[in-house]
Amino acid sequence: MTARNGVNRRRLLTSAALGGATIVGASALGGLDADSAFAAPMPSLDPAVSQSSFVDGRVSRIKGSVLDVVEADGTHRLIQLTNATSVWKLETVTAEAIEVGDGLYARGVEMPDGSVAADAVWVNIVNLYVTVRGIERSRLHLSHDSHALVGNIVEKRTTASFRGGALTSDLSQLRIGHHAQVLGAWRPADDSVDIARISVGH
Amino acid sequence: MASLAMNLATLLLGVLLAGTGASKAFGRQVAGQAAGTVLVRVLNDGRRATLVLRATGAVELAVAAGLLAVPTTVVPGVAATVLGVGFLAYLGYARVTAPESSCGCTARNNGPITWRAFVRAGLVVVGGAAAAGARTVWWTEAVRNPVESVAFLAVSTAVLVVISSDLDDLWLVPLRRTRLKVLGHPLVRGRNDEVPVAASVELLERSLAWVAAAPVVRSGLIDHWEADGWRFLQFAGVHDPGGAARPVTVIFAVDPRETRDTTGNPAVRVTLIDDRTDEPLEVDLLSGFPRRASLPMA
Repeated sequence: MTARNGVNRRRLLTSAALGGATIVGASALGGLDADSAFAAPMPSLDPAVSQSSFVDGRVSRIKGSVLDVVEADGTHRLIQLTNATSVWKLETVTAEAIEVGDGLYARGVEMPDGSVAADAVWVNIVNLYVTVRGIERSRLHLSHDSHALVGNIVEKRTTASFRGGALTSDLSQLRIGHHAQVLGAWRPADDSVDIARISVGH
Repeated sequence: MASLAMNLATLLLGVLLAGTGASKAFGRQVAGQAAGTVLVRVLNDGRRATLVLRATGAVELAVAAGLLAVPTTVVPGVAATVLGVGFLAYLGYARVTAPESSCGCTARNNGPITWRAFVRAGLVVVGGAAAAGARTVWWTEAVRNPVESVAFLAVSTAVLVVISSDLDDLWLVPLRRTRLKVLGHPLVRGRNDEVPVAASVELLERSLAWVAAAPVVRSGLIDHWEADGWRFLQFAGVHDPGGAARPVTVIFAVDPRETRDTTGNPAVRVTLIDDRTDEPLEVDLLSGFPRRASLPMA
């Protein structure tokens, strides 16, 4: 927990939010958070906001709050993290959780020097269509393109959605043979995937 | 027992190589399989990789024919050993230089190289060495010791099935299914029926509050906590009224018990806080939206 997310900061934000917040009811449209990592870049409707740029690669070096990311074609891009950057690695984490070797997907604004000031960073995020081949207490055996894959169930993090329903921590409806979409964080150490969300019957 | 194993090794290895060889030499999907292997990179050409894979299949078939037809000659056994050593070297090379690549071992499996591939190649080496030492043809051995032969073949076949990931559907998945039936589902819901944060975010991101705040929000979820019966979701953004852009913290507050299943109409508190002064900003996010009167339901 860094200072910006510290308890005092939360208390301040809580009182400000409860003091004079606009309350908005009624539902409308929208996108899903981690999904938006895979969404096509959408031009901002606000002309004042410059076009977002996207960087996809592996972290080769971390120097302070700057990440050196190597893209698939070998190009190096510098990613600047700020206080306002969100970092996702299975859950909302701070920048300290990013390690050399991690895969990274970042959205941000391109600076004049060619680096990208990141608004949001997703670390090791994967999105896979799988078949459930085995269910254990702490992991699922999955197959993806006919090769085997272990999906770890992480307590309080792994959620499931069945037939378009809301996300739940109740995974008891999972069955062997289910076709599912898994959104999760790849673990480079053992090539398994920590499951953030498994969606069945969509 | 050792001589029985040697004599029957020719039959086992012959059938194994005949199977894998035929699928490589004549399989319809070999081209697709070859594309995933390290051969493509080595040969720099998908078509040549396919040819090499098919040629390997043909060699396997020839060795298999030798093992099955003339089991007491040394040549097929030695050839199988050389083939096995070649497989091991190929797997080791692929594993080191391109761990993500497919093995192409059985022409059905396009998964990455696993320990099973190494064990199978190792068994070809061992089986080849054993076959080279065969003194009696396998059909005579099987007639002479029928019970031991059947037992040996059954055990060896079981080992081969276990190390072939192609055959998991035959035994491993049914075994897991049976275990679930007998022992019950391991993921039955505990006492924890708290709504996950991801569900609150999902609810938020389908709300009008999110759409209204979308021009301001730039980051993903930065922090979340619960206080005074609300769940707070913190984002970072830029508020830009008339070109005077300023960094802001956007705080949404939702009911921590509600999800998309319990309400289609969530109440969401939205607050913009100026990052430089920590003061809330007075902003009417809904100003650009037409007033919506709810239509009566028929």
